[in-house]
Amino acid sequence: MVMFLMVLCLSMFGLAVTCLAFAAATGGIPSGLQDRVETQPEKRVVHALPKARFFVDRLPSPVMPPQVPLEVLLAQIERHVRLEQAAAESFLVSPTPQSLHSRTTSPLVH
Amino acid sequence: MASAQLELMSGLSPDEADRVMALGSRVTLPSGTVLFRLGAEADSVFVIEFGRITLTLPMQIGGREEDVLVDERLPGQIVGWSGLIPPHRFTLKATAPLETEVRALSRAALLSHFAARPDVGFVVMRNLAAAIGRRLQVFQAMWLREMQRMVELRRP
Repeated sequence: MVMFLMVLCLSMFGLAVTCLAFAAATGGIPSGLQDRVETQPEKRVVHALPKARFFVDRLPSPVMPPQVPLEVLLAQIERHVRLEQAAAESFLVSPTPQSLHSRTTSPLVH
Repeated sequence: MASAQLELMSGLSPDEADRVMALGSRVTLPSGTVLFRLGAEADSVFVIEFGRITLTLPMQIGGREEDVLVDERLPGQIVGWSGLIPPHRFTLKATAPLETEVRALSRAALLSHFAARPDVGFVVMRNLAAAIGRRLQVFQAMWLREMQRMVELRRP
């Protein structure tokens, strides 16, 4: 009798191991395990932080326009004023929205 | 240039214009001379007889104060109308960039003459109003053009 029970238990154990091995091989998941998988919380995507750059801790400065010498800038302003005045006087001769906003060749506005 | 052709004397007879101009004194300005400074008391207006007067305002450029051209006056035109308009303070700096000659007309002499000859005073003050109005219109248009560019920079 004891011998019969031992053989029965080993047979049942072997059958269970075989079933699990078969399920794993065919991609199926036992229904109990599937429930556990579905109830697991969704993993959050964590964006990788940029690596710390110890010797480059300052951001590169924005590209600055080249420095214009003061005399050149004053000459440009003077030219700009003359052109703007001429454009404004032209507007007064024939006042239209187009003549008010006519373009000049001033280097300060291009 | 005949007196009657001057901006301030337009509409006066040559004799009347000559009489008004005779109230003033001729001032010769060597190149680079400052005729008046911003904020200074204004007791005269000036008629340019020859040369040129540049009108400037101070602007901060690179931490320095620089005089920036705002307007330019030529022979026959007036400069320094604050001499006749309260609060009688110059609102610009006037410089002669080359040798220039102006006729300085004092407020006291002009107002005295206008009191005696109101018809002349009316014409001169009307010419002055026209000159100021013209300048206002030009600067309005210039200001609006700058505003338009500012708007375009913010909303291209």
